Amino acid sequence: MVVASRIGRPIVLYARCLAVQIKAVLEYQADFWILMMASVLMNLVGFVFLWTIFSKIPDVDGWTFWQVVVIYALVFVAEGVGSLFFEGTWNLAFLVNRGELDFMLLRPVSPISQVMNCAVGINGLGNLLLGGTLIGLSLSHLHIHWTLGRVALALLLLVSAIATKIGLNLATNASAFWIQSPFSGFAFSMHQLGDLARYPITIYASAVQALITVAVPFAFISFFPAAAVFSKNGWRLGGVELPLRWFGLATPLVAVYCCWMGVFLFRRGLRRYESAGN
Amino acid sequence: MRRAYVMHAKLGLQQMLAYRAGFFLGLLGNLFFLLSMFYLWRVLLKNPRFTHALGWDWSQMKAYLLIGFITGILVSTFTDYTMANRIRTGDVALDLARPIDYQKARFSETLGVALFEFCTAVSVCAIVVAVFGGMQPPTLQAGLLFTVSLLLVVPLKFGIVYMSGLVCFWTTNYLGVSWSRQAIVNIMSGALVPIVLFPVWLQGVANVLPFQAIVWTPARIYLGTIHGTEAVMWLAIEAAWGVGLWILARLMWKVAVRKLVIQGG
Repeated sequence: MVVASRIGRPIVLYARCLAVQIKAVLEYQADFWILMMASVLMNLVGFVFLWTIFSKIPDVDGWTFWQVVVIYALVFVAEGVGSLFFEGTWNLAFLVNRGELDFMLLRPVSPISQVMNCAVGINGLGNLLLGGTLIGLSLSHLHIHWTLGRVALALLLLVSAIATKIGLNLATNASAFWIQSPFSGFAFSMHQLGDLARYPITIYASAVQALITVAVPFAFISFFPAAAVFSKNGWRLGGVELPLRWFGLATPLVAVYCCWMGVFLFRRGLRRYESAGN
Repeated sequence: MRRAYVMHAKLGLQQMLAYRAGFFLGLLGNLFFLLSMFYLWRVLLKNPRFTHALGWDWSQMKAYLLIGFITGILVSTFTDYTMANRIRTGDVALDLARPIDYQKARFSETLGVALFEFCTAVSVCAIVVAVFGGMQPPTLQAGLLFTVSLLLVVPLKFGIVYMSGLVCFWTTNYLGVSWSRQAIVNIMSGALVPIVLFPVWLQGVANVLPFQAIVWTPARIYLGTIHGTEAVMWLAIEAAWGVGLWILARLMWKVAVRKLVIQGG
């Protein structure tokens, strides 16, 4: 009983807070539609971009159109979940700068979960729907031999990819405790670094590939999971042949690492949090 | 009266320098985008089909992407978000009370900032050129026309950004408006894909919209795909869009102010 309530209560609270946030957003209907339109447009532009390129050539570095669409759409899906359920992460800089984090520290609920769901990005819904549609569309074109094992693997990798993105969001936004600014500029520029993972990363110079594989593992949100599901192999990095597929299979470990890193940095930062004047 | 606008240009510049961290982080984001485009197109242009369809090779494509980078930085900071915030919080009422023209004041600020944006973008380009190797300089005539078209990008982009800021009179959320604008500008200006690679019907759409003048016109002039009378004609179109959007923005402002509801006391 005690165990159940220890796990259950935060989830119930989380869902309730989120529901309140969604109601608040729906109060302003024009805003809701504009955010939806924005996410649809951004998805569409990305799709048109790839489609235009692939109308001229069959593949980029051995990746076909629909395979690249999967990579591209995975980024959108991960971002979508991040916006829809954990948008508050992006408000951390503001909360720290204004000293509003104080309120959250006084409540008997984990400050991390309070921060993460203190806002909802309805654009995430658009990203999720369109990204999901694009993945579905791609998979229907790709003729993958789906066994039970592969389905389970794909689902596990999808969840891990999303968790990686959320962990990275938290970790980069925790910079707010060190950088005194009301905007999460650092986290946002890192987010844009993540855009490099929208294409097969083999097109980049070795240093860039290493950067988004090891230093800030954005490639595990899209490229590596896709490589594992499509059983890709033969990845040459700086003259060394690497087992691409095994990197993909390591996605769950990377996800755990990123989430741990996010929580670790948040707690570290919280220790030096001094609140704002008056 | 003119002094007031010069003052606004200075103020705009000072304000942006005060918040330069935000600007440079934004620049970093643009740089990452440029990086991904560089590598992607380098791979793509190994395929003769692309060089054929584009009419230029990798060294020219580098110039194309850098022009996209520069015009992407121009008029990208400060104006619209500040405007949107002031409209949302009601501070715009103070702007209305001032004895100067609102649109001209915002344009002055934009000019002040654009000077800084331009210098920074060009310095970054110099570094990129140093890293990725040289590319062909344009002919003298092309260089001059290109400079004019780069200058004309400022009023044109101002019109687009300014009007998107005015949308805040109708909505309370600016993020979505800004994202939508960026998405449309990105694709229709040719910043993502040179317009010539579009299917014919989409090329037609792009050519009758103002956005193509942001990247496509200056880049084609620089690369010499259009020259002489044709280049001058596209410059005239670019200038006409700048003026047209200015007038359109005036009308939009008139309607918007009537909509204005200031909350609280």
